[in-house]
Amino acid sequence: MERTPEIFEKIEAYLNNTLSQDEVLAFEKEIANTVELQNEVEKHRSLHQTLSDRDTLKFKEKLVTISKKIKKEEEHSASQPFFSSNWRIAASIVIILGIASFFWYTFDSQNRTQELYATYYQPFPAEDITRGKPITELQDVVSSYVNQNYTRVIEALENKANINDQYKLYLGNSYMNTNTEQKAILLFESIPEDSPYYENSRWYLLLTYLKLGKIQKMKPLLNAIIQYNGLYKKDAIRLKEALLD
Amino acid sequence: MSNAKDLKILEGIAAGDEGTITAFYKKNLPYIKGYILQNSGNEEDVEDVFQDAMVLVYQKAKTDALVLHSSLQTYFYGVCKNIWRNRLRKNKKIVRTDDLSVTTESVHPAIIQEIERNERDHVYRKYFIRLSDRCKEVLSLVFEGKSMKEISGITGYSETYTRKKKFECKQSLIHMIEKDPIYKELQQILEKK
Repeated sequence: MERTPEIFEKIEAYLNNTLSQDEVLAFEKEIANTVELQNEVEKHRSLHQTLSDRDTLKFKEKLVTISKKIKKEEEHSASQPFFSSNWRIAASIVIILGIASFFWYTFDSQNRTQELYATYYQPFPAEDITRGKPITELQDVVSSYVNQNYTRVIEALENKANINDQYKLYLGNSYMNTNTEQKAILLFESIPEDSPYYENSRWYLLLTYLKLGKIQKMKPLLNAIIQYNGLYKKDAIRLKEALLD
Repeated sequence: MSNAKDLKILEGIAAGDEGTITAFYKKNLPYIKGYILQNSGNEEDVEDVFQDAMVLVYQKAKTDALVLHSSLQTYFYGVCKNIWRNRLRKNKKIVRTDDLSVTTESVHPAIIQEIERNERDHVYRKYFIRLSDRCKEVLSLVFEGKSMKEISGITGYSETYTRKKKFECKQSLIHMIEKDPIYKELQQILEKK
């Protein structure tokens, strides 16, 4: 059975008891005659039942976060003995050699990161203006943003208290486009983990570091974005591969 | 047989206290890891089993439905072990070792049945939390039974966008779930019945 928005809507209306009596009768008849539809309705029913328990979902998310933190701590502590033994002397030599080669490498890699930045950076898309709402000052900001008038966006938003996370992304992108990356970093980092824009903030934070050529800062972000398995996963994988080249 | 320390841990877990959960996680994960890795499992299985057992304990502790006949640690190992044995059984793999210092009495048969029933729920949650924040936001409201108009009012997205996003997110969630090997096994069992 092909899944379509219409079938989903019908099933959801049926499960939420918002169909009329006639519609219920007709739909139940359809369900009784089609095994695939029957299975699909059951699938939706059980999904709704399980995932409406937000407390358990939050608990599960907390477990995932804790697990990641523990792993990070373990990785960190695993790297410690290297520096606490006789390897220190060897490490010092490596560091001295590393610093020398760093200057040579930096010159070459800066061009590379700028190329990658140009390939991957697209301004955070401005969302369609919600229908039925009056034009506000903030929507003027969106127009300026869409027209790439970034200085105007900064003027309008920079000193505004309590802008929401979506506008923080507009402002952060404006900073990125006006060579004020440090401000962009602070802004993207201020978007909390439970925000619907958190994933976007991680991506633009990553691109800000790319623009600055800070590859070490990018690594954990790249891994987190890939693991997150969301909108930016494919680009993050490609970018990671390109950086490893 | 539960002592005051166990009760305090249970209270912390029920309240979602990060410090308590982290301490419990760190203390007990190595034992579960050893058992699962010795019995055909991998690192991902370890995390899945450990977290699914924690969810079960959380749900029970939250509703005061957890009566411990042994220490919390023994009970928890018993739950983990049964979850893993159950999954191995479905995959027709054999348990090589029983070394987890757990007596079978530590887990009530009713819990074993509950573990079986919860398998599908664990799969749903596992993939739901992998969705993007926006998908999670929209779908959570859908699962609460909110209409598109209500969701649009809460999120600030237009109704057209909300409708489109809801379909995309739910479809992607179902696809991920349907590809999961545990879910496939559960569906096969259900079809046989």
